Amino acid sequence: MRKRLAFLTLAAVIGIALSLPMSGMAVAQEECVISVVGVWSGDELTAFEEAVAPFMEENGCTMDFESTRDPAVLRTAVDSGNPPDIAILPQPGVMYEYAADGALVALDSFMDMDALAEDYAPIWLELGSYDGTLYGIFYKVANKSLIWYNPVAFEEAGYEIPTTWDELIALSDQIVADGGTPWSIGLESGDASGWPGTDWIEDIMLRTAGPEVYDQWVNHEISWTDEAVVNAFETWGQIVGNPDYLYGGVEGTLATNFGEAPWPLWEDPPGAYMHRQASFIVGFILDQYPDLEMGTDINFFPFPSINEEIGPAVIGGADVVVMFNDRPEVEAFMEYLASPEPQEIWASMGDFISPNQSVSLDVYPDDATRSIAEAVVNAEIFRFDASDLMPAAVGAGEFWSGVLDFVENPDNLMDILERIEEVAADAYAE
Amino acid sequence: MNANPSPKVNWPRVIGRAILHTVVITVAIIWLLPSMGVFVNTFRPKQAVGSTGWWTILVTPFDFTQYSLENVINVLAGNPEYVETCRENEEIIAAADSGACDELSNSRDRRTCEQVAAGERVLRRCDLLTDLLSSDGMARAFLNSLSITVPSTIIPILVAAFAAYAFAWMEFPGRQVLFVVVVGLLVVPLQMTLIPVQRMFNVLGLTNNPNFPFLAIWLAHTGYGLPFAIYLLRNFFGALPRELFESAYLDGASKWTAFWRLALPLSVPAVASLAIFQFLWVWNDLLVALIFTSGRYSPVTRHVANLVNSLGQDWQVLPAAATISMILPLVIFFALQRYFIRGILAGSVKG
Repeated sequence: MRKRLAFLTLAAVIGIALSLPMSGMAVAQEECVISVVGVWSGDELTAFEEAVAPFMEENGCTMDFESTRDPAVLRTAVDSGNPPDIAILPQPGVMYEYAADGALVALDSFMDMDALAEDYAPIWLELGSYDGTLYGIFYKVANKSLIWYNPVAFEEAGYEIPTTWDELIALSDQIVADGGTPWSIGLESGDASGWPGTDWIEDIMLRTAGPEVYDQWVNHEISWTDEAVVNAFETWGQIVGNPDYLYGGVEGTLATNFGEAPWPLWEDPPGAYMHRQASFIVGFILDQYPDLEMGTDINFFPFPSINEEIGPAVIGGADVVVMFNDRPEVEAFMEYLASPEPQEIWASMGDFISPNQSVSLDVYPDDATRSIAEAVVNAEIFRFDASDLMPAAVGAGEFWSGVLDFVENPDNLMDILERIEEVAADAYAE
Repeated sequence: MNANPSPKVNWPRVIGRAILHTVVITVAIIWLLPSMGVFVNTFRPKQAVGSTGWWTILVTPFDFTQYSLENVINVLAGNPEYVETCRENEEIIAAADSGACDELSNSRDRRTCEQVAAGERVLRRCDLLTDLLSSDGMARAFLNSLSITVPSTIIPILVAAFAAYAFAWMEFPGRQVLFVVVVGLLVVPLQMTLIPVQRMFNVLGLTNNPNFPFLAIWLAHTGYGLPFAIYLLRNFFGALPRELFESAYLDGASKWTAFWRLALPLSVPAVASLAIFQFLWVWNDLLVALIFTSGRYSPVTRHVANLVNSLGQDWQVLPAAATISMILPLVIFFALQRYFIRGILAGSVKG
């Protein structure tokens, strides 16, 4: 017993001795440290660090970046009165919450609004504002209205790029007739499963009902059981309601992870021919097939128009940069972030699309990425991802599960929509 | 009947044992399979992890070309694409040096190569050892985890032992009420306490304090660990025979001596098992670390969570990361497992 006790005591002493010098390791109090909490990590963070390096060097600052995808971390920091200087939020909805709490610094209090208006299309400034005050700058835009394909496989089979929804369905039928599978769709994404389906609905909604109705839908000014919403789901049902169209059938669609869903397009022979997903999917494709090249091996066409009276439309998503602490160096950093310089650096490294119009299109690493960016900047009708703008109970909850239920059982559509409507009625009332 | 003294086979017993063993082995295999998968995928290249299941190695387990240390190195260097980037950079630098940029197959690489050749851009050459020990690497996270876990295990157990002794053997008014309150704390979800505790730490200047970066999380883990530790130890101390303490007091021992020389040595199994529980809980904790640590003082769990990007890309390196972060808990478990088994019964049977 004594021996064991001695051992434990020894272990304790060694342990504490080991930890104390580490904890006492005084870090010289740096003059200028900008703390950032954000959703970026891994290779995104490396790219972001490179993009801010010129500012940090010039001003002798350092950035303390905390990566986390747990919204509770930022919430706790803000509520306990210790917010980071800058935060990068995954959805504007979260920004509106903080703005309503009065936790954010208004950007128009120190930024040159004329310069911003020159750099950013009105829609971005509008989305970044709450109650007429600008709080957020958008970053890392994803163009969601893209259908990916394998140009080599398309050429071998002699398929043409469809420009209307009818042509898209005709092409799908032709692929089935040729013994292939037209679509690979993956809706699984852990506890966020279903979101890739909401993007489909949004793209279809914008193209069938038009931007005005789309905005009404986002703001819950029309019901979920409205004809426009029913029509959007039913239009999507032309694809997901037909098991012959789907790689892995209905079950495969529900169970396949969204990141792996595009992979069958590059199998030999192709497991599927088309995949609808946002621009960021390129990273996932290149992870699995590092030798493929954008443009020649991987390409996309814009989501075709459905109602001919509605012009070319783009749905996009983006992360938003907001500011919590008002200090001169943080203001300067925010101004730098909004300027074209860091965005050009990141864009040249790939996997990044800037909403800033002054960012030169030349910096994008290849033609395909350039045309995705061009579509965002020049879109005739541009709308933000609807589910990201809706209250979380709907946009990150019932809408997701509704999509999954619809794919599993398309005949239940009215029940599903009524259920979403019930949740929405409560969520928007708050 | 049978005069032959040859041993009789007790068939019902043999069959019973056989069934028992089959069940136990089956359950063990089912429990082990996921860990097996994680372990095997640690040593498979990224693309293989993405495209085929780990069990495909069972066909040719000794074909060593199907294994690679790529993911392990990626994790240790703290960058899921470390090996790939290094290889590409080397190729581009070599091509730029020999003026053969056109021979690169990828247009993005060709562009970079031209920039390097023109001196507009400098590509980093990788030095494995420096990168492993760099601030992005796993080494720092590992040290952080140790600096968090060791004190966060010792402090609560020490405090709990004092408290448990008082609750078990010292008479003072309100003893039972206080004990019930402490036990009641067991059901308070720690998520509820995060904001108030963090506020308190702000007032005390413990958040992001560069001089004492770990103090906040030590205190947090101490608080969260105490109720269970006190509860377990009090029951164990309470089960020790009263005569032991009475005779010690008769011999002139103070309460202090009785605690150190009697109560604690007799409770080594309980203390050791508590230490294992607390160590594993702190080592594996992500939530508390997310709130109470920052940036360069983050433990392994945060480091691992940040290897994948915001869309979950690069998940293929996670098996390797999990295996590396499991090494220390496994060593602790096997070193102390006899206490572990004994300690689970601690305080459950009186006498």
